[in-house]
Amino acid sequence: MKIETMLRDIIQSLFHKPVTELYPAQRQPTPQRLRGKLRWNPEKCTGCCLCVKDCPCSAIELITIDKDNKRFVMRYDAGRCTFCAQCVQNCRFNCLEMSSEDWELAAMDKALFTVTYGREEDVQSLLGCVAPTGDPAGE
Amino acid sequence: MSKEQFTIPIGPQHPALKEPGHFTLTVDGEVVTGASVRLGYAHRGIEKAVESRNWVQDLYLLERICGICSHIHATAYCLGVEKLAGVTAPPRAQAIRVLVAELERIHSHLLWLGVAAHQAGFDTLFMYSWRDRETVMEVLEQLTGNRVNYSANLLGGVKFDVDTRVLETILSGLDFLETRTHHYLDIVSGDRIFLQRTRGIGMMTSEQAERLGVTGPTARASGVRRDIRVDAPYAAYDRYPIQVVVETTGDLEARFIVRLKELLETYHLIRTLLDGLPEGDLKTRMPRRIAAGETISRVEAPRGELFYFIKSDGGDQPARIKVRTPTLSNMASVTQLAVGHQLADMPMLLTGIDPCFSCNDRLTTVQTSGESETWTWEKLRQYGIASYRERG
Ligand code: SF4
Ligand code: SF4
Repeated sequence: MKIETMLRDIIQSLFHKPVTELYPAQRQPTPQRLRGKLRWNPEKCTGCCLCVKDCPCSAIELITIDKDNKRFVMRYDAGRCTFCAQCVQNCRFNCLEMSSEDWELAAMDKALFTVTYGREEDVQSLLGCVAPTGDPAGE
Repeated sequence: MSKEQFTIPIGPQHPALKEPGHFTLTVDGEVVTGASVRLGYAHRGIEKAVESRNWVQDLYLLERICGICSHIHATAYCLGVEKLAGVTAPPRAQAIRVLVAELERIHSHLLWLGVAAHQAGFDTLFMYSWRDRETVMEVLEQLTGNRVNYSANLLGGVKFDVDTRVLETILSGLDFLETRTHHYLDIVSGDRIFLQRTRGIGMMTSEQAERLGVTGPTARASGVRRDIRVDAPYAAYDRYPIQVVVETTGDLEARFIVRLKELLETYHLIRTLLDGLPEGDLKTRMPRRIAAGETISRVEAPRGELFYFIKSDGGDQPARIKVRTPTLSNMASVTQLAVGHQLADMPMLLTGIDPCFSCNDRLTTVQTSGESETWTWEKLRQYGIASYRERG
C-alpha cells in the first residue's frame, strides 16, 4: 500500500504549461466537422420542405416568394436550433451546410438569433411586407 | 430501550448532489439506520412529448434524455425503430455506432472516476482524470463535431464516417488514455488513504445484487456476469466481442476497478474495430411511416442496461415509448446498502452506482379520484406547472 500516489503527476505538472485553454484570448482551431450556424444556399432549393419537416425544434421556416420561379426565403432561428444536422441530411440538393467557423452565437437580444437567408431582393420584398425580425441584411 | 433517532433530509438541493433527488436518512449518532429515496424532481415529460413528434424528430429528443450517455439512447431508439420497420443499417454504420458508444463509455467512466474521487476528497485524482478525459472529448469532437450530444445516429444509419485523419486522432488518443488508465488502476487499488474510503464499504454480495436487480458495472463489481453487449449482442457487438469484466469483492473498490478495467477492454475493442472496419454505405432508406407493432430494444449504457419499449400504430409518430435507465435499477441498492454505514459514506455510496437523476425521472405520481381519465397536453402542462409550484 502506498501513499502520495499522485505526487509524480503533480511534480511533472510543475514543468508543463497549464492545460487550461485561455479562451477567448487564445483560440484553438475548430474541428473540421464542428456543427455551427446553419447556412442556406437559395440557388438550388426546390422548396420541398423536407428540411423543415424533420427539424426537431422548428428552427427553420421556408417562406415562398414565388413558387413557379422557385424563389424562397429561409428564416433560421439559431436560438432554437440544436445543431443536429438532420436538415443537412434531409436536403437532397445540398442547399444546407453547417459552418465550422461560425459558432460563437451568444447574443444579448433574442431577435439577433433569427437570420433570414435568401436572394437579396427576395429578403427585401419579404421584410417589406412582414415585420422584420433580427438581422435584416441576411448573410 | 428506545433511543431518540435523528432524521436527516438530503436534497433535493444539496451540495453533494449534482442533480435533484431526495434522501431521508435516519441516523443513530453517525451510523445510518434507515434510508429512503424520493425521485422525480427532474421529470421532463419526454415520453409524452415523443408522441407528438415524428420518428426522426424523436431521435434528437431522446438523445437528450442524458447529457453523458446521449449516443446510447439514440442507438437504442434507432435499433428499435429499425427493427419495427424491418430495416437493418449497413455494417459500417453499425460498427460506427459501436465506436461512438465505446468512446462515450470512456468519457462517461472517466467523468465518473473524477466525480467519485472528488466525493472521496481526492481532488488531485479528480483534476487529473478530467484533464485526461479531454482527450476523448476531442476525439469525439473530431469524429462527430460535438463534445456531447454527438447526433451521430440517423434512422437507418449514421452521419459520420471514419477517415484517416480521425482514425489517427482516435488511435493516438487511445494510446495516451491506456497508459493513464493503468496508472489510475494502480492508484485506486493501491493508495492507502483512498482505500480507507472504498475498501469494504458498501459491500454487496452477488445474491444481493441479483435480488436488488442492479445492472451494469455495479452488478459486475458484485460478481454478476451480466452485460447486454455479450448476453444479447446488438449493433456490431457480435462481430467485436468483449470480455466481461467481473470482480467478486462487491465493495466500492471493486466498482472502481471494474470500471477502469472496462476501459482497458474498451480500448482493445476500439482498436480491433478500427482494424477491420467494414466497407460500405453509411445509411439505408427508412420509411417515414413505421409498420404497426411493438418491440423492445436493450443496450449496455455506461451505467448498465438501458431499456426501450417502442410501439407504433403505423403512423409517422410513435404511439408509445417507454424508457428505463440503469439508474432506476441501481437506486434500490443505495438505500439498502446505506444501513449500517457512516453518514459520511453516503455520498460515496450513491456515487458508486454512477447515478444520473434526470435520465431516470420518468414518472411523477398524480393522485386523482381513482377513475381513469385522459388528459390533454394542455391539462398535463397546467398540472405540471401547478404541481411544481406547490412542491416549491
Ligand atoms: S440543425 Fe437540426 S435543429 Fe438546427 S435547423 Fe437543422 S434540423 Fe433544425
Ligand atoms: S430540403 Fe433542401 S431543397 Fe428542400 S426545401 Fe430544404 S433546402 Fe430546399
